Amino acid sequence: MPALERLVQFTTARHRLLTHNIANLSTPYFKPVDLDPKSFQAAMREAIDKRRKRPAPLSGPLEIRSTRQLRFEPNGLQVKPSPRNENILFHDQNNRDLERLMQDLAENTMAHNAGIQMLASEFDMLKLAIRERI
Amino acid sequence: MFGVLDTSTSALVAQRVRLETIAANLANANSIYDAQGNYSPYRRRVPVFAPGDPTTGNASGVHVARILIDDSPLRPVYEPGHPHADANGYVYYPNIDPTMEQINALEASRAYEANIVAAEATKSMIQASLRLLA
Amino acid sequence: MTDPLGLIPSTSALGGPRPARPTHPGQQPSVSFKDVLMKQLEQVNRLQQDAEMAIEDLVSGKRDDMDAVLIAKQKADIAFQMLLQVRNKMMDAYEEVKQIRV
Repeated sequence: MPALERLVQFTTARHRLLTHNIANLSTPYFKPVDLDPKSFQAAMREAIDKRRKRPAPLSGPLEIRSTRQLRFEPNGLQVKPSPRNENILFHDQNNRDLERLMQDLAENTMAHNAGIQMLASEFDMLKLAIRERI
Repeated sequence: MFGVLDTSTSALVAQRVRLETIAANLANANSIYDAQGNYSPYRRRVPVFAPGDPTTGNASGVHVARILIDDSPLRPVYEPGHPHADANGYVYYPNIDPTMEQINALEASRAYEANIVAAEATKSMIQASLRLLA
Repeated sequence: MTDPLGLIPSTSALGGPRPARPTHPGQQPSVSFKDVLMKQLEQVNRLQQDAEMAIEDLVSGKRDDMDAVLIAKQKADIAFQMLLQVRNKMMDAYEEVKQIRV
């Protein structure tokens, strides 16, 4: 459950950045910024593996190491986005890559929706257990 | 999350302004008189984008910082009998290249569509999150 | 509530079921109802834990087959709901037996 929470926080923050990049497609001197999902996954993997070594492998808090871009606070996620650096510099000094931006937007949206769905089903099961009647 | 819709909307507004200036440029491709009837050839208007949105105070998004008046040289056309011809018989017409304007219009509409997709993605994420409650 | 086999996990969300009828050990060498029940409980718990670990692996990127993870979660949920219904029926039966005037 805390893993899913962190995933949803990450996808929400990244969505904000991706929308900002897409809004500034034609802005001169603009450099798109992004959050790296791979480093997020690596940090999550470390925390999950560390928790699995403890006697209660599925319960208890997840202690996630902060990366250069992300700081995991108890009630949220602090982000520090970094430039994307992937495309050539156009004449207006903007190095956007529209196709990659749209692909990242689609993947991020789907990951967010999947995370929300799994959280919803976990909460439903808890409510069911409390209710004791289906 | 609702602030993210502001970002996409600001981009839609900016691209629409750009398309409007392109339409004005194309319409006035041969205007050498201004509204009062004086001899003042139309000069190409160019919108300049900048990140940020001052109307909502949002740091994300884009807005039209100013509309430049292009001061590149006008296009001379040899018309010795024209009342406004200069000493060599040339009349200066606006220097608007319809091909260039059309290509810019294509890029503006492509950016517009990309931002529509981003707004749709935001809507679907908000709706998915609302399903957590239901 | 006793737990002679020690199989009821502490993370059980039900709060522990109660066997509807005491078993008669030694009557027959067949499998008793309590053993069956405990085994099924253990299986439901294992399914839930597998689903939980599968979701964590998906989030951390260790596996990328989202459909298998969703199916595992569905299996766990269905098993849990079945267990809940069985428990409800057993409670109702126990209440009914309690009403029998001796």
